[in-house]
Amino acid sequence: MLVNLPGPWSPLLGRLALSEIPYTNPILAPLFVIIVLAGIALVVGITYYGKWGYLWKEWFTTVDHKKLGIMYIILGLIMLFRGFIDGLMMRTQQMLAVGSGHNGMPLMGAIHGYLAPFHFGQIYSAHGLIMILLAATPLLVGIMNIIVPLQIGARDMAYPYLNALGLWITAAAVFLIMISLFVGDFSHNGWFGYAPIFELAYSPGVGVDYWIWTLELVALGTTLGSINFLATVVKMRAPGVTWTRLPVFTWTAVSANIIALTSFPCLQVALALVGADRYLGTHFFTAGFGGNLMLYTNLFWLWGHPEVYFVILPAFGMISEVIPTFSEKPIFGYITMVLASFAIAGVSWIVWLHHFFTMGMGPYVSTEFSVATMLVGIPTGVKVFNWTFTMYRGRLTFSSAMIWSIGALFLLLIGGLTGMMLSIPAINYMVHNSVFVVAHFHMMLLCIVYAVFSAIIFWFPKVFGFKLNEAWGKIMFWLFSAGTFLVFFPMFMLGFMGETRRLDWPFNLQWAPWFDIQEVGIAVYVLSVLAFLWLIYVSIRDRAENRVGADAWGTSRSLEWITDSPVPFYNFAMVPHVNHRDEAAWRREHGFSDKRPEKFAAIHMPNNTPVAIVIGALTFVIGFGLTWRIWWLTVAALVLTVLVMIYRSGKGDPGYIITAEEMEKMDRESRQKMDDGHAPLPKGGGYTGGTVTAYSAEVGDPGSQSTPPGNSRPLS
Amino acid sequence: MSSAHEKPVDPDQVVLWSDDYEGHDVISTRTFGFWMYILSDGMLFATLFAAYGVLSYSHSYYTGPTPAQFVAPWYTFIQTMALFLSVLAYGFSMAAMKTGSKAGVINGIVASMVLGAVFIGLDIHDVLRMISMGVTPEVSGGLSAFYALTQVHAAHIFVGLIWMLVMLYQILKKGFTEDVVGRLISLRMFWQFQAVMWVFIYVFVYLWGYMS
Amino acid sequence: MLKKAKPGHWRYLALAPLLLLLNGCAKHSAWWIFNPQGVGAKASYDYMMIDVVVMLSIVGITALLIVWFMWKYHKGKNRGSYDGKWEHSNKLEVAFWGIPIAAVAFLSWAVAVHGSFAVNPYNPTVITQHMKPKGDPIDIDVIATDWQWLFIYPQFHNMAVANELVVPAHTPVFFKLTSTAVTTDFFVPQLVGMIDVMPGMRTKDALESSHLGTYQGIAADYCGAGMSWMLFKTHVVSMADFQHWAKGVESSPNTMDYAQFNRFAEPYINVHNKTPVYGHVEKGLFNHLLLEVMNGKKWPLPMFMTENMFHYLKLQAAEHRA
Repeated sequence: MLVNLPGPWSPLLGRLALSEIPYTNPILAPLFVIIVLAGIALVVGITYYGKWGYLWKEWFTTVDHKKLGIMYIILGLIMLFRGFIDGLMMRTQQMLAVGSGHNGMPLMGAIHGYLAPFHFGQIYSAHGLIMILLAATPLLVGIMNIIVPLQIGARDMAYPYLNALGLWITAAAVFLIMISLFVGDFSHNGWFGYAPIFELAYSPGVGVDYWIWTLELVALGTTLGSINFLATVVKMRAPGVTWTRLPVFTWTAVSANIIALTSFPCLQVALALVGADRYLGTHFFTAGFGGNLMLYTNLFWLWGHPEVYFVILPAFGMISEVIPTFSEKPIFGYITMVLASFAIAGVSWIVWLHHFFTMGMGPYVSTEFSVATMLVGIPTGVKVFNWTFTMYRGRLTFSSAMIWSIGALFLLLIGGLTGMMLSIPAINYMVHNSVFVVAHFHMMLLCIVYAVFSAIIFWFPKVFGFKLNEAWGKIMFWLFSAGTFLVFFPMFMLGFMGETRRLDWPFNLQWAPWFDIQEVGIAVYVLSVLAFLWLIYVSIRDRAENRVGADAWGTSRSLEWITDSPVPFYNFAMVPHVNHRDEAAWRREHGFSDKRPEKFAAIHMPNNTPVAIVIGALTFVIGFGLTWRIWWLTVAALVLTVLVMIYRSGKGDPGYIITAEEMEKMDRESRQKMDDGHAPLPKGGGYTGGTVTAYSAEVGDPGSQSTPPGNSRPLS
Repeated sequence: MSSAHEKPVDPDQVVLWSDDYEGHDVISTRTFGFWMYILSDGMLFATLFAAYGVLSYSHSYYTGPTPAQFVAPWYTFIQTMALFLSVLAYGFSMAAMKTGSKAGVINGIVASMVLGAVFIGLDIHDVLRMISMGVTPEVSGGLSAFYALTQVHAAHIFVGLIWMLVMLYQILKKGFTEDVVGRLISLRMFWQFQAVMWVFIYVFVYLWGYMS
Repeated sequence: MLKKAKPGHWRYLALAPLLLLLNGCAKHSAWWIFNPQGVGAKASYDYMMIDVVVMLSIVGITALLIVWFMWKYHKGKNRGSYDGKWEHSNKLEVAFWGIPIAAVAFLSWAVAVHGSFAVNPYNPTVITQHMKPKGDPIDIDVIATDWQWLFIYPQFHNMAVANELVVPAHTPVFFKLTSTAVTTDFFVPQLVGMIDVMPGMRTKDALESSHLGTYQGIAADYCGAGMSWMLFKTHVVSMADFQHWAKGVESSPNTMDYAQFNRFAEPYINVHNKTPVYGHVEKGLFNHLLLEVMNGKKWPLPMFMTENMFHYLKLQAAEHRA
């Protein structure tokens, strides 16, 4: 039943052969050497400092939602960088290749620019897949992982072990796509794939197979995560956290994960059917033999569009936390904010056809989906208005977290404007598949990236106990924004000039100046990456001066800000009783910020487990085996996975108990550590109630030193 | 929500920490999570049904056979009965759990497993029969979708059988611990859900296919 | 060949059209979308302007509001009064839902509904409602291969031309499109919007233009390595010129039957922009190909054929196809 392959195959190694390793490629070969050397240096370094045990015990086997979240974020940041390098290569190729004439590099086999079409295709496919599913998704899942349990007063996620499993399966997907750089090649059909070009006849290599199994692994990891989030929010809320006291970020996490839970199976099925076509010779998406290639496009976007909202909704949630904190006001229109999130989530299911208006489905269907698409603009517009009016009558502090959030608002406005253009078929016909679309969705995805950076800066002190450097956060913001403008304003213009997507040779010389501007933008982006690295370095170097108390910003609002910074592994010494939606602000207002629990109770915590990372590694092997059609390896890894799961199920996890006395001791130490460390408190008001005139005390004003208005307890 | 902080707050009365919070209920949390899984599994089947729907026009079968020519609804009806009885047996087993009867639970699960195995056996036999008739997934898009839908369901049943085997071992080894009971409840949901999916498959694929 | 054979600073003159953008576009503007020359493209452009004006008024006001609030409520500047309790207003909430609902309702009616029918590729009312009695519409069968276009003129002795499209002005042109390879997209930015071209399927499109000139046609959807070179110039000429040109093509001794098409459809990257003409193409080729593809006919890609363009072009040349 297995199809005949257009190439050699051996039972032992499948399609794998030495020739699949691109050692002659002048870009990949040196890169490979560098990565191997860096890897060796890392291993030697860890061994030299004897950190393997620490890494294994504290990180690789952990089930702590905060550590898993941190690892998700690190994974996401690394992939964001990888995706950026892909973007840099694409921009450079178009700049070099534009126009007629001989401008190619024969060394690379290109007649225009430095990349042959096949290579260029792999780069933009990897760029799209990585940015959406391996950068944005892990970053958002990581932040949700850390913050959602804290905002509802839980000690951990509902299923800590499942949480670890989700991370390591996502990591397996990351390894799979990274290994495709050096072993074989990646798909060239774009991140969403086209039928029937991904069929074996048109894509005979292993690229599409890498693409299928990477996506399947991410989908699996994300589905597991979404089950966990929903169960956590529904079942693990602390007493007093009623549905109307759930912070907006948690609400958006709920709506986003409902989308993920219900939509990812569509992707899994769509890709499994592509796999069946390629591996078993079925005819789901072929042009002949009764297959239906439009079915693929429908199934993919049936997931693909909800996925877009899966990534944007948590970003909206982050903005909804940051803006009130730095406006010193509650969020405007909480109820409509929540309703809008669910409206977006609901409408996300009925708009998928707008991804292919040009398929010619007739004016009635087109109109229907056009109107449905525009409906999304309503709740999104409401959200923007609500954020705007959260600032109204506020006291705005333009900290670096705040300016990232405001930047996200502006990108959302541009993205919304262009989105409303694209939602109309009559307009869509002219700009669909053009770089105008590319620029539009980059506005939306960069809105997410801005929100993520805002959230990282905002919650960093909660997780690590010290703030990131404000000045460098702002420098990075301005560099990043300059890069965004320089890359994407020209891209909109190129769209109006009729440049279509995915051209590895842009034939029109008139586009050339815009490509040059974009390249400058890329250079500025490079500077912003350096600024980010420097930001991390300076912040860690000066951490002693930037230590914070529980309420890191002095104007924080939701529940996570009442526990110590950094958050101890048990989250809350005693489960809080929540009295208000903005619990931290409420306690501050009523003078309870200094209150510690008086009595303690024993708590039950889960044990660490190596099972999750082992299963993650095995799923990687399954993906690799399937890609290269090494059947024995695939079957062996699959059987092993099942056996490991059964073993884990039999063993169970009794967890361990921390007694009340130990808890009290740990709580005392945690408080002591925090109080010893932190420097003068940030100034600020931040009241949930009471009309007061504008507070004008500057930072460092000695008058406010004696009575820190917002922040926690007196220095001991 | 502005009314919440209008009320005066008495510092002596206010409750800041939940001293008597018992923590969440493990079994109900586990069951809720499994419901969520069932929802995603439902979407998986819904997508497969959508694919089957799109690929069941007459031209989807290309020049090959259509379901009317190869499905055997009476044969498949035996499968249906086997699966329903299996669910019933599992129900008896769960009823026995309420009375704490280990033997009752084990007997129920064994019966359920045997009937599930009958279902799988009949399915394999049916597939072999169809393949011998030249009805294979490579023939046409319609047959690809037919096999995808029915065999993904069969794969679920197979996983369920492995799960039952594991549960039998765990009941014998550990008795009715919180973990084991939670898993038995999840397995019940899983098994009933597969039976419900089978109803749809039987009606829309086998009966409808036979008649059209 | 590492050095770019590209002219220097003068290319920045191409930015000059940006200025022209403000006061109407030049005849041969680089801003193809803003400079529509076809009836359909013009209609799309008009709808775009309505949409942009409506949305920009809302988005622009919101942006100004944000900036104003940022200025006014800046902490410590004492420009606005602080009310840390203010978090709800029924009036504002109604406005916040009402404004987008009104905008969406208006755009749905004025642009989405009207536009979908006006430029419906299968039956664009902007063309069909005002179809001129004089001069019958012209039909053209479009076949996309890996990676060439073949345009067949059934009313003109079934003549055909590859990678170049010639249409008469003031005359509606109706396309039937299919592909023998993979999915791609037919697009002439200044004349007509995109329509997918799919194997085993037939889509339709229509264009009409009253502006003589040459316009760039593009394969707008990714269809493999040769996509960037899968271009076709579209010449809108006067009816007299068109008749003259058609006579010339019809008399070409070059013909194409199904067997010859088989060779034509093999993967070919049109780097030299060849535009062969065929005086006659086998009758019913379009429908025959549609059926063949539905029966599973493929012109598959050799493995990794495009990894090295030079290598592939040498191969192409060796087969006397380039």
